[in-house]
Amino acid sequence: MATLNEKKTCSERMADFRRFVWNPETKLFMGRSLINWVWISLYYLAFYVVMSGLFALSIYCLMRTINPYEPDYQDQLKSPGVTLRPDVYGDRGLRIYYNVSDNKTWEGLVTTLHTFLAAYTPAAQHLNINCTNNTYFIQDTFDGPNNTKLSCKFTSDMLQNCSGITDPTFGYPEGKPCFIIKMNRIIKFYPGNGTAPRVNCTYVGEEGSRPLDADYYPGNGTFSLHYFPYYGKKAQPSYSNPLVAVKFLNITRNVEFKIVCKVIGAGITFNVHDPYEGKVEFKLKIED
Amino acid sequence: MFPDPGSLGNKNSSSLMLCSLLSTSELEMKYGTSIDKGLSSARAAEILARDGPNALTPPKATPEIVKFLKQMIGGFSILLWIGAGFSWISFGIHNYKEASRSHQLYLGVVLALVVILTGIFAYYQEAKSTNIMASFSKMIPQVRATVDNSSLTGESEPQSRSCDFTHENPLETRNIAFYSTTCVEGTATGIVINTGDRTIIGRIASLASGVGNEKTPIAIEIEHFVYLVAGVAISIGVLFFIISVSMRYKILDSIIFLIGIIVANVPEGLLATVTVSLSLTAKRMAKKNCLVKNLEAVETLGSTSIICSDKTGTLTQNRMTVAHLWFDNQIYSADTSEDQTTQPFDQSSPTWTALSKIVTLCNRAEFRPGQENLPIMKRVVVGDASETALLKFSEVILGDVMSIRAQNRKVAEIPFNSTNKFQLSIHETDDPQDKRFLLVMKGAPERILERCSTIMINGKEEPLDSEKAEAFQTAYMELGGMGERVLGFCHLYLPENEFPETFQFDTDSMNFPTSNLCFVGLLSMIDPPRSTVPDAVSKCRSAGIKVIMVTGDHPITAKAIAKSVGIISATSETVEDIAKRLNIPVEQVNRREATAAVVNGMELKDMSSEQLDEILRNHTEIVFARTSPQQKLIIVEGCQRQGAVVAVTGDGVNDSPALKKADIGIAMGIAGSDAAKNAADMVLLDDNFASIVTGVEEGRLIFDNLKKTIAYTLTKNIAELCPFLIYIIASIPMPIGTITILFIDLGTDIIPSVALAYEKAESDIMNRRPRNKRRDRLVNQQLAVYSYLQIGIMQSVGAFVTYFTVYAEQGFLPSTLLGVRVNWENNAINDFEDSYGQQWTHYQRMYLQWTGYTAFFVSITIQQVADLIIRKTRRNSIFRQGLFRNKVIWVGIFSQIGIALILTYGLGHVTALNFTPLR
Repeated sequence: MATLNEKKTCSERMADFRRFVWNPETKLFMGRSLINWVWISLYYLAFYVVMSGLFALSIYCLMRTINPYEPDYQDQLKSPGVTLRPDVYGDRGLRIYYNVSDNKTWEGLVTTLHTFLAAYTPAAQHLNINCTNNTYFIQDTFDGPNNTKLSCKFTSDMLQNCSGITDPTFGYPEGKPCFIIKMNRIIKFYPGNGTAPRVNCTYVGEEGSRPLDADYYPGNGTFSLHYFPYYGKKAQPSYSNPLVAVKFLNITRNVEFKIVCKVIGAGITFNVHDPYEGKVEFKLKIED
Repeated sequence: MFPDPGSLGNKNSSSLMLCSLLSTSELEMKYGTSIDKGLSSARAAEILARDGPNALTPPKATPEIVKFLKQMIGGFSILLWIGAGFSWISFGIHNYKEASRSHQLYLGVVLALVVILTGIFAYYQEAKSTNIMASFSKMIPQVRATVDNSSLTGESEPQSRSCDFTHENPLETRNIAFYSTTCVEGTATGIVINTGDRTIIGRIASLASGVGNEKTPIAIEIEHFVYLVAGVAISIGVLFFIISVSMRYKILDSIIFLIGIIVANVPEGLLATVTVSLSLTAKRMAKKNCLVKNLEAVETLGSTSIICSDKTGTLTQNRMTVAHLWFDNQIYSADTSEDQTTQPFDQSSPTWTALSKIVTLCNRAEFRPGQENLPIMKRVVVGDASETALLKFSEVILGDVMSIRAQNRKVAEIPFNSTNKFQLSIHETDDPQDKRFLLVMKGAPERILERCSTIMINGKEEPLDSEKAEAFQTAYMELGGMGERVLGFCHLYLPENEFPETFQFDTDSMNFPTSNLCFVGLLSMIDPPRSTVPDAVSKCRSAGIKVIMVTGDHPITAKAIAKSVGIISATSETVEDIAKRLNIPVEQVNRREATAAVVNGMELKDMSSEQLDEILRNHTEIVFARTSPQQKLIIVEGCQRQGAVVAVTGDGVNDSPALKKADIGIAMGIAGSDAAKNAADMVLLDDNFASIVTGVEEGRLIFDNLKKTIAYTLTKNIAELCPFLIYIIASIPMPIGTITILFIDLGTDIIPSVALAYEKAESDIMNRRPRNKRRDRLVNQQLAVYSYLQIGIMQSVGAFVTYFTVYAEQGFLPSTLLGVRVNWENNAINDFEDSYGQQWTHYQRMYLQWTGYTAFFVSITIQQVADLIIRKTRRNSIFRQGLFRNKVIWVGIFSQIGIALILTYGLGHVTALNFTPLR
């Protein structure tokens, strides 16, 4: 096999490159004449205009064909996520540490709860109706104002001791902290198959067998059925998720516990890969 | 010991020396030996310890491990290693700082695996191609040159050896015999003066290995392509690294983007695909008798612009065959094709009967027994080339020659010798009534004519007058002018009264007449061109390839063969032809007018390289005659100075420097020596020139098909790259994952891109000029721009439409996606709201993101199917090329879809791979 000797010195290469950029003999700029550059630019301009047009047209058609009330597919959201307030995340998930005797360690947590519950004041909920019967609130017609559907009222006072009204510190200084548990919204999801789903918190890990002494609000820690199903943002613009508050009554101080709060009810499943689907896990340590 | 210390003389050369300038006793003293007793065993052992055994040092081979490591870090591998390194670093930092991001670890492992696997694959392919070669040399029986120096100097005639110092050049002098040559006949005693690498052949072998392995054109093209793509990858990567840093992304994230951009830009599977395509072509060529030693040589052959071909055996059949006959004052031509079974010329004349009898009887050659079932042309004959030709010729026409000879018992014989220049035998006749003896003779025509007083015309003896002698001369000149070897035939029926049945013939005293014979006819023989060669030469011509004949033969023979195969076309003339036509001296002819040239080796010797260049430039049809193999190297270098890609054929040991020097050296599989085969890049199993042309066609085809493969592979790079760029700029959820990209590059796309190697040639493949290695690059601007900026952009648009559709149908409308990246990827947000008010946990979002990857992947895959069909042709219309002619393409398409289905639905639950089942 023979050589293709293309060894050039650096200056030769530079000269070659300069000649490529502007060749004075042929009047070529980067290998093309100026008019040629204009044409090719026009061509690409036209090409990309057409491509963008096609893209825009596709997206326009997509938007036109999509249902404004509910998504076409819901196979990805089978079971609702569950979230906890206050939510402080450590390296590996939720981690709530505080010191009873040190205001600064829990004031942030309490503020979080107050902020969160601000959406549940009677004023914030004034658009929603009062519901009492514990059955699914099925609406086939648009009975609300502006062609919407009605939503049930959930106010913070339903959380009684954990409402922040009677006890603005949510029991944190006493070492009996309140946690608020919220279930994510899923359109047309009917949890519990006729029985209201309820929250149940237990220790996990080494303390697994130990009973967890806690109060649940509203009573029994249930999400009343009349908050379901959810009809989507467009149909129920004022909908707010029902909440359940847990007040831990007897947490041993200075020990880190791992606690899981599960929502129990038919249709609510757990996923090994997802720590927040159907349940919420967190670490809790109360120091003094 | 040689008078000229500057010549090859002193330090080197021969292993066996018959005598030298020095007298025998001086020699004995110099080498401490004795002609009668040889070296003492102690002295022999001493010399053996000093010089080593009498064997050639094998060429230095690259250690296997180095070859392997080269595959591991060559090409794109280094980029991927960098990517893997970054992944591990970022994994390490993440792991230390916060929650483990094991997919960085996976990515690094996968990248490393990709490099290692493709490296192993390429290494295996290379090793496999070498293995073909090794087994090959055992397969083909080595035909040892039966002539003395042919393996060394290419002289086809045996050279005699004596004690006379005849020439200053050790290669020419008669008193030295060389290592590797064989003794045909006779005995001689000599003194060994050199062994092993210090012999002439050893020096040639080391010279050949010294010429060195430079890069093949395709290797240069691939390198150019790798630089190009790596340049694009690195510059886009660095550009977006800077952009992302200035957009206040974390450095670590920016590094991850960088990896993604590099992985998206590097066509990981391409180098493996190229190797596979080349080895597929190599296999196809092996079926067509071109054995390729070096995979890359496949393409080199395609870009060949000059072929320097040997004559004997390559262009010709390598056997003497009767081409013309002259009797009854007329020239007849005989069939010279490879598989003659009959001869068409007029055989009714009684002169022919007489001539055929002489041809049959005055011949010592015989068929080896036990070949009755073979076609006559394939049978092995004991005897020299001319006799063999005559034997086969008469066997074809008359049938069983041996029985004819048996019926005409031979009573006396004088074999051919160089003083007499004739051969004579005396036979009984096969007619029992006729008791006369028949004396038959053949030999050099002028010598035979001298001995004749009559000539047979139409079966009748007529006196040989000057007019008939003139006719003989004309015929002899004409046949000789065609480059043919002419023999004359005559006979005499001995009178019964002088030579009764009991007469004892004595060949020493010649007690029988050897003059006043009856001249019967002439036969002329030539080594005829192979029947496929003229066609192949004209193919070369239309493909813009210049064919140069380089032969050791006589110029007249060389020119005749060149004309008959079309190397010199019918209409073109040499300077000498023009001079003859215009009847002016050669010097006055305008050299530019002559398109053809026949250059004699002796002229070549005195030429400067400028003069040679001028010949190569100005003449399109060139024949080099009487050249030594050493001059072949000069010719090859001359051609390369013209910027040509030169293919050279060769068989002898000292062809090896030329074979090495050439862009592609082609050794003869049957006649070639091992040294030639080692030096060559390709071996022609059938020694046939036409096979080279087939190889050229395959080489051009693979270049075209590689272009298609690369265009196909590059297209999707844009569709893989755009997601990263838009992700960084528009902060949308990641459209495609790095691992998913690897699955496209190394999964769905591999088989289709190999399938393009099976694409049939587009119609004009052999009507184009050879590719100009400086201008016609494998990856040129058009290809890159077309793939990247047109088809690639279209693919990206298509894939993004799919992406937005999938998200929209799951609840995230395009407007919500823009700028959402930070919250979307935040582990701590587990109630992320979509356009419909639904809330998603982090994992649910990630799962949706993987669904997006899968959709993007499927979209690219489907668009690649369309791309594959686009890429089937470059010049022809797809309908002209045919959708179904290349079945492998369909295998590719189905495999692509099949792999995509398996990945999406079969592996949809393996989280590490980030595939989800689509609905």
